[in-house]
Amino acid sequence: MTARVRPDAARKLAGSVQFGTDVDVPSMLHAALVLAPCASARIRSVDLSAARARPKVTAIGAQDLPNLLPGGKGDPDRPVFPPERILFAGQPVAAVAAPTLEEARAAARLVRIDLEPTSVAGDLEAIFPEWPGSEAKESPHVAAHVRARLGNVERALADAQTVVEETYRTAGIHQVALEPHACVATVEGDRWHVATSTQSPFGIREDLASLLGLPEGSLVVEGTWVGGGFGGKTSAIVEPYALLLARASGAPVRLALTYREMFLLGRTTLPSIVRMETGVTDGTIVARRIRLLLDVGSSLPGRDFAAGHASGFLLGPYRSPAFDVEGYAVRTNKAPFGSHRAPFLPQAAFVVESHLEEVARRIGADPEAFRARHLWAAGEPTSLGQPVASFGLPAAFEAARAQARAWRADAPSGHGVGVGLGFWATQIGAGGEARLRLSSEALTIEQGEREIGSGSVLVGLAASAERATGLDRERIRVEYGDTSRAPFDSGVFGSRTVGALGQAVARASGDLLETLGARMGGSGPVRLEATPAEVVAVRGTARRPVRELLRPEEAGAGGLAASGRLYGTEGALDETRVLEGTFYPFPDFVGAAHVAQVEVDRETCAVRVVRYAAFHDVGVAIDRPSATAQVEGGVVMGLGAALTEESIWSEDGALANPGLLDYRIPTLGEVPPIEVHLLEGFPGAGPFGAKGLGEPPIIPVPATIGAAIRQACGAHLTELPFSAERLARALKLV
Amino acid sequence: MKESPRTLQVNGTPVPLAEVPFHERLLDTVRWRLGLKGTKEGCRAGACGACTVLVDGAATLSCLALTHELEGSTVTTIEEVVRGPVGREVAAAFAEAGALQCGYCTPGFVVALTSLLAKAETSPPLERLLEDLGGNLCRCTGYASIVRAVELARRRRA
Repeated sequence: MTARVRPDAARKLAGSVQFGTDVDVPSMLHAALVLAPCASARIRSVDLSAARARPKVTAIGAQDLPNLLPGGKGDPDRPVFPPERILFAGQPVAAVAAPTLEEARAAARLVRIDLEPTSVAGDLEAIFPEWPGSEAKESPHVAAHVRARLGNVERALADAQTVVEETYRTAGIHQVALEPHACVATVEGDRWHVATSTQSPFGIREDLASLLGLPEGSLVVEGTWVGGGFGGKTSAIVEPYALLLARASGAPVRLALTYREMFLLGRTTLPSIVRMETGVTDGTIVARRIRLLLDVGSSLPGRDFAAGHASGFLLGPYRSPAFDVEGYAVRTNKAPFGSHRAPFLPQAAFVVESHLEEVARRIGADPEAFRARHLWAAGEPTSLGQPVASFGLPAAFEAARAQARAWRADAPSGHGVGVGLGFWATQIGAGGEARLRLSSEALTIEQGEREIGSGSVLVGLAASAERATGLDRERIRVEYGDTSRAPFDSGVFGSRTVGALGQAVARASGDLLETLGARMGGSGPVRLEATPAEVVAVRGTARRPVRELLRPEEAGAGGLAASGRLYGTEGALDETRVLEGTFYPFPDFVGAAHVAQVEVDRETCAVRVVRYAAFHDVGVAIDRPSATAQVEGGVVMGLGAALTEESIWSEDGALANPGLLDYRIPTLGEVPPIEVHLLEGFPGAGPFGAKGLGEPPIIPVPATIGAAIRQACGAHLTELPFSAERLARALKLV
Repeated sequence: MKESPRTLQVNGTPVPLAEVPFHERLLDTVRWRLGLKGTKEGCRAGACGACTVLVDGAATLSCLALTHELEGSTVTTIEEVVRGPVGREVAAAFAEAGALQCGYCTPGFVVALTSLLAKAETSPPLERLLEDLGGNLCRCTGYASIVRAVELARRRRA
């Protein structure tokens, strides 16, 4: 079968799409940031005078904000330049613009920062050497505290036949999109315009409005093509500085991060410590107690989503009659926690899977059978009382187990085959709207997202309209517009594009067909068909060119218009089980089961992944090639998280490996063959039953590799990533 | 006698070196001085391969090349590479294999693979090609579709 070629392929292959780093406008200045050299300090002064003395240099710092911001101030909790305290190493304290990047950097080096270093809160275990007690909630180190519980866990654990208690540690990882954050800002009067590489133009507009104290109507965010997002391009990281420099200088200003700055300023998954305690009687889990310490960097207190999000996922996808989960979001001197692909879930799935395998082994049960027995089935309630909707994970698990049996049968000795599970809940965000226009020759989708690479916008939305109308995708165009023109949509994150915006497209399509049907007369479903010259509406045996069905004013306005919306409803939790903080209901239930065969070198403790298979509960695959591509890409990103990727901080709080040489992402030579299996049959909430797929593929990977390593050499690893050093320690070789 | 101006060729156009600062990298000459944005800026440290161009037919990391040191050389960027006979085949193979998602690493891969296939008399073995492409990073595809594209391009050259 010849797959269709992606509509953006030719342009990307010729190097002719414009990414954020490529935007180039006349008279543009280049910006450089001035970064704090230490992780925690009181600011005595930031002296811009020497920088400003350089010809054609514009320099701004905290002192300039009251003049530059139209309202005189921005968000008091999130000042663009910190007036008093440094919160993390690399935090921008000033910004400089000049006609060339070189001149900007030279001027930036002339900025004198006078700091009084203060003690660094770096390490979770240094902040909480003992597990926090109830007084910890008041600690300035705690950004959020969440707790939920059902039943009497203390009693259940005391009565259980076997209790297994373990502590896991997971490392911080980074998205490492190949394109660094970059934008060009232009301020003219009260119109603040920024062209930027982002996953969410409307999200950036909202963020900027808050940071700069501007009404959203004054801001225009124009998304460019995006060279990778993976969750890292959802916050306004570079735009505030570029906009303020544009305002100060009167010229357009470009700010692109260096890779080092991308690592320092990026908001992503940070380290964790998780304590798991599980009680079992007669082979059945009777109680689970889970305690999470999650490093959230310099995230603001009270605005943290991570603790509730992570704690909620640590409870599943397994049942337990009694549970107690408690999570602390711990503030440290690092950049704030942010969304990495499936935030914290690759880590959480590893902890859950590895722990349950250990529990099974301690009671002499088969680890896979033990998990299968406790796995959620559709209809039963989650730990927080939400009914599990259509869920393909049990089926995916069975398929994975069968694959694992087949691979074990012919695996050489010294190899191990392991199975790992993960689950996800496709997000909806606030929601979005799609506007369709049907002309005599094509159907156009106007929408507010940008294509960040997966094809979910470019192909997914078109495929959604194709399914809804019958019109061949070749005649469906996706249009991009800036925030002043495009209809609102929350953006590309949470695997939500096809499920949320795709649903809006399907609704708009339905409206369109209904209108056409009313004009055609007759009865029965209406479909659209493409002929070489034009689009035709078909109803039973009747065929009418769309051209004939358009009113004159519609023909003049580009075609018959229809719009569709989806604004979120996300299900409800049993709030009586929540003692503290916010937990999040799951909008749907998406499963994935992976199998890995690995070989462990007993001398070097290097792990080689020999082959890999992924079974994914996709609901319905509206475009199989892009679905397959997501799984392949997500699995390899997961291999990085499992084996080689780890952000390392030195004792003074500085990030020690802000670059590709020491933060190692997978290369071409390190990837195994990956078999992708898309399981349909468990419909989700998306159009035609589609489920989100951007994030699920990364989730089970560390768990799967950990299980395979254990099979291969018996090492039970409780820390991520599975570096050679950790494996050597687990094997007692060092 | 008047000295002829020192130049290098980029996509067939001579670029006078007199205006170029000594420390300017080829990447910046190509992107900012000549406006050829197809060559991408990634790590700017020689680790990602996104900036790959051809210098006298050889794949070269333009972020590490100083423009002045290339006097007399012929530089070809992605815009020109995909118009050539081998580059066109490589691009077609990538398109058919769906070997791109965000597209940021794509020009670097296409240029690198073009140079490997163009300079070999016979089609190199797949393993050799993949090894030589090991310096090009991709974060979206997991490399699976890229491997399929390389095999497709390689088979067609044979």
